[in-house]
Amino acid sequence: MRRSDRYRFYIILGVLVVLQFAVTIRMWGRPVGPDFLLLALLMYSIRAQPGRGAAAGFLMGLLRDALTPASFGAGALSHTIVGYLSAWGKAVFFAENVWVNGYLFFAGTWLRNLVVALASGKLKGTMLGWELLVWSPLQSGTTAVAGMLVLWLFGRHLAIPICSTGGSAWRAPWCGPSWASSWWCSFARRSWSTASTGSSPR
Amino acid sequence: MALRADRYASRADTLVFIGCVLLSLAAMGLPDRLRDPFARTLRQTVLAPLLALQQQTERISAALERYDEVVAQRDSAALAATFLAELRSENLRLRGLLGLGPRLGSGYIPAEVLHQTEPTNALTFLVSAGRKQGVKPLSAVVSPEGLVGIVSTVDAQTSVVVSWAHPEFRASAMAADGSVYGIVAPHGSEGPRSWLLELQGVAYSQLVPDGATILTSGLGGVLPRGIPLGTVVGVAGEAGGWERTYLVRPAVHPAGVTHVMILTGPPLRGDLRSLFEAGSPTP
Repeated sequence: MRRSDRYRFYIILGVLVVLQFAVTIRMWGRPVGPDFLLLALLMYSIRAQPGRGAAAGFLMGLLRDALTPASFGAGALSHTIVGYLSAWGKAVFFAENVWVNGYLFFAGTWLRNLVVALASGKLKGTMLGWELLVWSPLQSGTTAVAGMLVLWLFGRHLAIPICSTGGSAWRAPWCGPSWASSWWCSFARRSWSTASTGSSPR
Repeated sequence: MALRADRYASRADTLVFIGCVLLSLAAMGLPDRLRDPFARTLRQTVLAPLLALQQQTERISAALERYDEVVAQRDSAALAATFLAELRSENLRLRGLLGLGPRLGSGYIPAEVLHQTEPTNALTFLVSAGRKQGVKPLSAVVSPEGLVGIVSTVDAQTSVVVSWAHPEFRASAMAADGSVYGIVAPHGSEGPRSWLLELQGVAYSQLVPDGATILTSGLGGVLPRGIPLGTVVGVAGEAGGWERTYLVRPAVHPAGVTHVMILTGPPLRGDLRSLFEAGSPTP
């Protein structure tokens, strides 16, 4: 990774942090806009080692706990788990495809909300159901869309390799072993080709 | 071929992960006296510029949304101000004739709600006014519709508000006509009636009709008397034939509030209900 790219990467992460506090999107009176802080964590952790992802998640969660004291510690726990799993999962499972990264952002946001809701112990029954089945999917969806947009616009500077359909696949060395990454990448490309053309993969 | 997950997380990664999880669990178990100063330090240092940014954003957003309304209010205020001096002197003269004391003073501090995106945001949230603006712990936090919560912790520039939806919230309450007294608490999270309040401890012989307005009673000295809490929507249960619990639809939902007023000033001994009546200007 070139030094200029590294600066750009951290600048983009900084912009995401600022956006978290500068943009509020409400629906039916609830803030369901993208969680830019979590997005920054996910973008960091999918290019970092799992330990660093967990540590970054812990620090971010602790800061967020200071803003919502009702669940102090729950945010740290949830962000630690999400940071670790996204770093680990990216190396093991996730293909280098913008859509798969979108799914990762969706799942990461939903998992974070699940762990916060359960660990805090304050949301139960119907409230928990509404939170996990209505509000969290909405927030996860907006976060995933925002994340895919960021990847589409700045993916090259984030050093998150994206193998678009038919495009050349560029793979970073920290993305896991080449055989696994290549297999998933080609699988994703075949799936995308099938979905977009309706033909069976050759 | 099976993927070997342990190839992608070294032993050091696993140890860091376990360490962070243990620290998180320790943070969850921290007592309030240790947790609050730590959270306050974070808010006043690392998070202070970001919270200031969010406060400015909320103000700009409100200014854009309410521009026409604010202009209309300004014009009305300017018109009313032309009669103000005359009205004030007349009021003083009449109060003197009737032997009344000075009008009830109820200062308030306006503040923006700094919502976060986490699921527990509706239970406790930050507002953009703190010690420097004169906020004190246990101050009532209201919107034009009614009670939102009470101030829990006060920082220099921000405060933590515990909303009525928090499981530990309690308020001494009464029916608007003063015939029934009880304790208002969150109804709980079970069943389809979550996000409601309940009026507990009402004597079995005392009936509260549906639609009755429930106000703070002022008993206990924490919350002033007369702040709307909600309206009765039905009976939640009966306990042993000696008390009833009523369901109350809250006057305001904390997740939907963007601006609040924190009541300050001298202890409020009067009744504030007239300030919240429909059509009256905000307190």
